[in-house]
Amino acid sequence: MHQIETVKDLMAATFGIESDRIGAQTAQFDIVEWDSVGHLNLMLSLEQTFGVTLDVEQMTQLTSVPAILQYLEAACRPQ
Amino acid sequence: MTPVAERFQKALTATSRADVLAALRPRRATALGPLEINRLVAHLRQLGEPPVAVKLVLLRTYTTDLLKTYWPLEGLLNGLDISVYEAPYGVIHEEGGAGTEDAKPDMACFFLRAEDLHPALRDPVSALSDEARATVVDEAVAQLDNILSSFRRASPLALGVVTLLPPMHGPELGQFDAMAGESSGDLRSQLKRRIAKNLREKHAAVLFDDLDELAAEVGRATLFDPRLWFSSRFPWSVAGAQALVRRLVRYATVLKYPRAKVIVLDADNTLWGGIVGEDGPDGIALGPEYPGSAFVAFQRRLLDFQQRGILLAMCSKNNPDDVAEVLRDHPHQLLRESHFAAMRVNWEPKIDNLKSLAKELNLGLDSFVCVDDSPHECFQVKQQLPQVTVVAAPQQPVEIPWTLDDIPSLEILSLTHEDRERTAMYVQERQRKQLATRSTDYGQYLGSLEMEMTVSLDDRRHLQRIVQLTQKTNQFNLTTRRYLETDIERMIEHPDWLVADFSLTDVFGDSGIVGVALVNGLRGTTAEVDTLLMSCRVIGRGAETAFLQTILDECAQRGVQRIRAQYLPTRMNGLVKDYWPRHEFAESDGWFHADLPHRAFSEASAIRVTVVRPTSGGSRAAARASVSSS
Repeated sequence: MHQIETVKDLMAATFGIESDRIGAQTAQFDIVEWDSVGHLNLMLSLEQTFGVTLDVEQMTQLTSVPAILQYLEAACRPQ
Repeated sequence: MTPVAERFQKALTATSRADVLAALRPRRATALGPLEINRLVAHLRQLGEPPVAVKLVLLRTYTTDLLKTYWPLEGLLNGLDISVYEAPYGVIHEEGGAGTEDAKPDMACFFLRAEDLHPALRDPVSALSDEARATVVDEAVAQLDNILSSFRRASPLALGVVTLLPPMHGPELGQFDAMAGESSGDLRSQLKRRIAKNLREKHAAVLFDDLDELAAEVGRATLFDPRLWFSSRFPWSVAGAQALVRRLVRYATVLKYPRAKVIVLDADNTLWGGIVGEDGPDGIALGPEYPGSAFVAFQRRLLDFQQRGILLAMCSKNNPDDVAEVLRDHPHQLLRESHFAAMRVNWEPKIDNLKSLAKELNLGLDSFVCVDDSPHECFQVKQQLPQVTVVAAPQQPVEIPWTLDDIPSLEILSLTHEDRERTAMYVQERQRKQLATRSTDYGQYLGSLEMEMTVSLDDRRHLQRIVQLTQKTNQFNLTTRRYLETDIERMIEHPDWLVADFSLTDVFGDSGIVGVALVNGLRGTTAEVDTLLMSCRVIGRGAETAFLQTILDECAQRGVQRIRAQYLPTRMNGLVKDYWPRHEFAESDGWFHADLPHRAFSEASAIRVTVVRPTSGGSRAAARASVSSS
C-alpha cells in the first residue's frame, strides 16, 4: 500500500537521508539520524501529514516502521 | 484544492524567489508540512539566485533543536543561506565558552525565560511590594547585563536579539489582572520596558524582541505544544515555531539586504477602490462603508510605516488634477500631499517614473517597495528593475490593509528623531526648491532662508544617528569610513578625538542631524580630519562651509596649528573631489593641509552657528575645560 511510501518519504525528509535506507522493518536504532530530536520531528510530521494527534505516550512508542504503520492503520481506518 | 494547497502549488511553479514569496502570502496562518517544506527548499535552491550566507548562534535555557526544520526555508525565501550553531543547552553566561567565538556569528539569539534573569520571577509576584518589584526588575536587568557583556566580548560584531519566553498561562489574577494595580502582567511590562531601555542605552547592536507580540499574533493556545514542553523542554507548536523563525529571520534579512526607504504607491485600486479618472473623486471607494473602509485602513497602516522613517511616494497613471483633488478635498482621504515625499502622477511609463523618483529622492532603487494592483505594471517593474521590491495589491479589498505586513525590509533596527521627521524634511526641501526658483538672486535666497546651524561636540545623545550617518552616507563623504557604535563611543571618550555633528534649521523647518566630522590628534600640533560627511539634502546652502569653519575654529582654539585631510575617491563620492582645494587646503603627497587659524569663509556668512559643548560633569568635560582655558 502507498502509506508505507509516504512514511518512508517523511522519514527521509525528516532525517535528511535517502529513502532506500528505510525498509518495512526499520527501527530507530537502525538509523543514526533517527535521534531524539529527529524522532519528535517525525512524530510532528506524521501528525501534519495524516491528520492524527499523538499523545506523549504514543510518541515514545512509535519507534519503528511497523509500529508507525500499525498505529496509522488503526487511526486512519474509515469508521 | 484548499487555498493553502493552491498557494503551495503556485509557489512550486514560480520562477523567481520573489514570486515564490508572493505566492505564499499572506504568511500568517500558513503552517507548512515537512514534505512541503522540503520541496520548497529544493525548488528555491535550483532557481539560480544564490543566497547570502548568514550565521546564527542560539543561546538558550530551553530546547530550540526542533526549530532546525524551519531555518532553511525561511532563510531561502529571503535570500539567505542560514547556518545555525546551537550553544550548549543552558550555557548563556560563560565567558566565550558558549563557542560563539569560533562561530563568528552575524546574529545571536537569546532564548531566555524571565526566571533565568531573577529567581523571584518563578513565584507569584502580585503580592510583591513596589519596593520589592523595583529590586527584582533592577536585578533582572543587571543579570542580563552580565550575560550580554560576556557575549559581547566573545562576539564583538554580532547583532544580539534577546527574547523572553511568553507566559504559557493567563495572568496570575485571571481576568482581573488588568484591574489590579500590582499584577504579574504589570511587572512583566515593567521588566520589558526596562530591558529595552537598558539595551538602548548600554548595549550597542542588541535588540529586545518581544515574543509576547508573537503570542498575540499566533494566539497563546496555538503558540505552544504542551506535549513537547513537558516531555522535551521545547515550548513551540509547529505553527508557533514557524512564526518564531519567520520573525527572527527578518532581522537577518535586514542585516544582509538593503533596507526599504520608500514605499511607492499606485493610486487607483490601491489607495482607494475604483478609478478616479472614470468614477470621479466622489465615486471612488474610500470611507466608512465597505469596500472603502478597507482602503482607509490601508492608508492608516501606511502612516505606521512612515513612523519608521520610511518615505511614501506616489506613482500613478492618472490626470494630475484628479488625484490632486482627492488628496486635497476627499473627506476620507488620510494621505494628503504633505505625506508624500515625492509624486509622479502622469502617463509616463512606470519604469521611467520610478527612475526619476529615485533621482529626486536621492535613494537607490534597491530601497524601493512598489505597490500596484495591476499585474501588468508589477510584471514590467520586476522585469526591468529587478532591484525594486514589487508587491501586488491584493484583489480582495479586505486583505489590502495587510499588504505590506510581511515585508522584512520594512523592519527597522533603530529609530532616531531624524527617521520620524524624514517625510517632513523632504516636503520642506520641495518648498525650498520652489522658493529658489522664485528668487532671482542666490545670495538673497539664502538670506531669506534664515538658516541657523547647531554644531554639537562629543554629544553622546547623538551616538546612534552619527553611526547611522557614517554607515550610509555615500555621496558627500570625504573618506567613507564606516563606524560602529562602539567606535564612536570610544572617540567621544578619547581626548585626542573630536566628534562633531550638526543640524540646520531654516524658515521651513529643522533638518535634524545631517553632518558629522571626526577629527583625531587634538592634543598635538597637527590634527587630522578622519571623517567629514553630510547628508545630500543640505548641500548647496553653505552648510558644508559653515560646518568646516566651525571645526577649524574649534581646533585652533584648542591649540592645533595645522590640519591635514584626505579625499578617498569611491564610485559614489565624486561630488566632493574638490572639497579641500575649494576651502583653500593645499595638496602635497596625497594629503591636503591648512594652517590654523584659518580666515573666515565668506560662503558661510548666511548661516548663524551655535556650538553646543557637553555639559555633563565627567572627567572628559573637565579635561576640555582646562584645554580651552590654557
